[in-house]
Amino acid sequence: MSKLTTGSFSIEDLKDVQITINNIVGAAKEAAEAEELGPMGPSPFPGLATYRDDWNLKLLDRYEPVITPMCDQCCYCTYGPCDLSNNKRGACGIDMAGHNGREFFLRVITGTACHAAHGRHLLDHLLETFGEDVPLDLGQSDVLTPNITITTGQSPKTLGEIKPAMEHAEEQLTQLLATIHAGQESAEIDYDSKALFSGSLDHVGMEISDIVQIAALDFPKADPEAPLIEMGIGTIDKEKPFLCVIGHNVAGVTYMMDYMEENELTDKVELGGLCCTAIDLTRYKEADRRPPYTKVVGSMSKELKIIRSGMPDVIVVDEQCVRGDIVPEAQKLNIPVIASNAKIMYGLPNRDNQDVDATIEELKSGAIPGCVILDYEKLGEISVRLAQEMHPIREAAGVREIPSDEQMKEWVDKCADCGACYLACPIELDIPEAMKFAKEGDYSYLEELHDACIGCRRCEQVCKKEIPILSVIEKASQKIIAEEKGWMRAGRGQVSDAEIRSEGLNLVMGTTPGIIAIIGCPNYSDCAKGVYYIAEEFLKRNYIVVGTGCGSMDMGMYKDENGETLYERFPGGFVSGGLVNIGSCVSNAHITGAAQKVAGIFGGRTMEGNLAEIADYVLNRVGACGLAWGAFSQKASSIGTGCNIYGIPAVLGAHSSKYRRALIAKDYDESKWKVYDARNGEEMPIPPAPEFLLTTAETWQEATPMMAKACIRPSDNNLGRSIKLTHWMELHDKYIGGLPEDWWKFIRSEADIPLAKRAALMKKLEEEQGWEIDWKRKKIISGPKIKFDVSAQPTNLKRLCKEA
Amino acid sequence: MVDTTKNTKLFTSYGVTTSKAINPDMAAKMIKKAKRPLLVVGSGILKPELLDRAVKIAQKANLPIAATGHSHVGFLDKDVDAKYINVHQLGFYLTDPNWPGIDGNGNYDMVIVLEFKKYYINQVLSGTKNFSNLKAISIGRDYIQNATMSFGNISREDHYVALDELIENL
Ligand code: SF4
Ligand code: SF4
Ligand code: SF4
Repeated sequence: MSKLTTGSFSIEDLKDVQITINNIVGAAKEAAEAEELGPMGPSPFPGLATYRDDWNLKLLDRYEPVITPMCDQCCYCTYGPCDLSNNKRGACGIDMAGHNGREFFLRVITGTACHAAHGRHLLDHLLETFGEDVPLDLGQSDVLTPNITITTGQSPKTLGEIKPAMEHAEEQLTQLLATIHAGQESAEIDYDSKALFSGSLDHVGMEISDIVQIAALDFPKADPEAPLIEMGIGTIDKEKPFLCVIGHNVAGVTYMMDYMEENELTDKVELGGLCCTAIDLTRYKEADRRPPYTKVVGSMSKELKIIRSGMPDVIVVDEQCVRGDIVPEAQKLNIPVIASNAKIMYGLPNRDNQDVDATIEELKSGAIPGCVILDYEKLGEISVRLAQEMHPIREAAGVREIPSDEQMKEWVDKCADCGACYLACPIELDIPEAMKFAKEGDYSYLEELHDACIGCRRCEQVCKKEIPILSVIEKASQKIIAEEKGWMRAGRGQVSDAEIRSEGLNLVMGTTPGIIAIIGCPNYSDCAKGVYYIAEEFLKRNYIVVGTGCGSMDMGMYKDENGETLYERFPGGFVSGGLVNIGSCVSNAHITGAAQKVAGIFGGRTMEGNLAEIADYVLNRVGACGLAWGAFSQKASSIGTGCNIYGIPAVLGAHSSKYRRALIAKDYDESKWKVYDARNGEEMPIPPAPEFLLTTAETWQEATPMMAKACIRPSDNNLGRSIKLTHWMELHDKYIGGLPEDWWKFIRSEADIPLAKRAALMKKLEEEQGWEIDWKRKKIISGPKIKFDVSAQPTNLKRLCKEA
Repeated sequence: MVDTTKNTKLFTSYGVTTSKAINPDMAAKMIKKAKRPLLVVGSGILKPELLDRAVKIAQKANLPIAATGHSHVGFLDKDVDAKYINVHQLGFYLTDPNWPGIDGNGNYDMVIVLEFKKYYINQVLSGTKNFSNLKAISIGRDYIQNATMSFGNISREDHYVALDELIENL
């Protein structure tokens, strides 16, 4: 009997009918497995233990989990709360380290679930709308789905063929979530191994989310010339009705855009948004680079700010990075809120089954503050029409304007200088000081807070005088907000195979010193401009800078002395000195994808079901480092952990220490800095590089040289090593001051030493390290612990060695 | 004398153990008693008023400085023994008895921390608090729960006075 895998059946007469359904779950996987497959690595369709011994524990042996608890207690079950301080064990048997491993792991699987669930939603919606056979046309690539292929061993070519990978991620997520229960999995190291596995699945979920939308919604396809998009609060035309969308799931927005186009409203209604839906709406039907009309307002930190500005006439939210207080905040300014995704319903009434006109009337009259509409056809029409109708009503009511000068003075004068807001502010902004000057009429100190303020409202929660501090800051900053205008390249999608082929050699040889990936959220600990400074520094030094999500937006918000943004100054291709906006947060999968493709296409490693070998190649040979300078959501922890399992280190901002764990190697422990030479299985010493997989930096000035250093890899050739050292040492001198203490550890021969200072540095090696130098031949005779052998094949996997 | 023990409200990490609030004279006494102390400063130190005081503390108590973040630039032309290290990395190494220290002479028994974002240093010290015997004394203007001892939450002006009193007592 053939198995039922797809399709439908109906039974008219239910009497005497027996229905037996077997094997539907997993049927898609089986059908795909039955197909002819090429060479296969050892780990297709991995489970909880698959990567553990072969790869994860090897990584975690060098990159040790650094546990920094947020709290001394565990409150997970009714045995507790238990005091775990000093690494004590709780009533269930778990200790502090294990519990914090679990806490971090919980963040990672939450993030993974967000992307996987988003992928599932998009996949189902697009399958229903366009069918199974939509080809995965993603640009000029043979390797279309590196993360899926490495994980499942399969290479889907159509929307329908993605289903097994989707099912696999979902199945494993359930297994992973179950391990949170009580104290059962108590070993911290195993939670970290599971977190790494979850991270790899996260990149599968993200890859699915992005490739299905690229393929079905006609997004730019690996396009270095993807159009430039207007960005910033200052670009919104206040004269027009403004429909503001917030979240991560573009599905509903496409219906708004279609409605606007069909009704010739594209120049009559402003459509713009925040977070990733905003990025993705600028990608919709952009494969032919038509002039964009939608706008990006900005990152997550602008959510409350834009609402408080009173500008939006309607707000539509979908999922993920959406604040929980949007309805009460919007209500104060007569802004109806439409929830368009079952993941966020805000307690609002569902109006899917009501006539469109009636719903518009209900919302317009203020009878309800908002509603749920999951029917996209209706959503498209209602949201656009409602924005047009609300605009004059709200203008007449005077709620489209920010507070008056008198109101502002009243608020400022109320401040009692108690300092409670300073204590509560996560950025530790000196609000009381700014208030003091404001009382004297000088608003410039308040204005200065605007760029660093993440718009979280914690200050307002604690102010006993009930001053709406965020509004005060924003009112004081009206002038700079009006000028907040930038440019961003619409997310271009994957890095093509052709780009990998032409840059792969440079990257592996080190002549392109590295890939710097600037991703993630805006919970910056210093200023939003930090990401701009970092990106500019690396672009000028010919690194490839790739970006996604809010990081991509913030990089485009600042201008140089000629009034140009980074996106205008640097090319959009995956080339030396290119600034590549990959896309929204789910496009992060294409960043790991690019590194994986270097290993697969360039290094010739089998990709199918072969995570450990691909990751091993990246760790030893591909100079890449991620930066999540404002990492905020749980998704940031899963994205970063996915990079880590693939051997890509990431630097996070100071707030991310609250994730409770880092992965840092002991740079002083020589036993950790050895690999095998695959030619003969012999151990070879390597320099301490990269010295962490996940850690935090205090300021952007510190992060910059850290990332340059993290691009150094064991297999650099002489030229590459000397170029990478040049950048790291220059950046260290510029931002930290002087020579780094450990630069000499990276020198294998005189050819590794930065050219411009070779003689002076050799002198130092002689004097400070006691190395022998032949000054006539300008050669190092003895000293270095590590040798350079151009044909050595560094690997962490004994099984890859010839003699093994 | 300024009372630095009063306001110990927490806004960062939370839990059952909290650091003991201390006055500057007491802090000075503890620092003098330590066998192998290390002054750990964050990038907040780069304001001239604070930088001068940090230099004086290091000089008077003969403390090596772990200059974290980009604070090292401030010490380049000063007569102190300052070395750069990332503070998250430092926090981890402090929990390893085999760490040779920033000078190669072994791990430390006390760190004195100054001028960090409070949530950041609190996180770093939550590691040393739970996984080592290290004593940590915070002499910044915020109450640091995960230190062993800490000034309370004080105003900037009081903080300067407190640091001066500490220097006096060293
Ligand atoms: S809203 Fe801004 S000023 Fe207020 S606590 Fe948050 S970051 Fe600080
Ligand atoms: S909490 Fe309110 S009253 Fe107190 S200093 Fe801040 S703004 Fe002023
Ligand atoms: S970058 Fe972070 S805050 Fe921004 S949309 Fe993505 S997950 Fe949300």
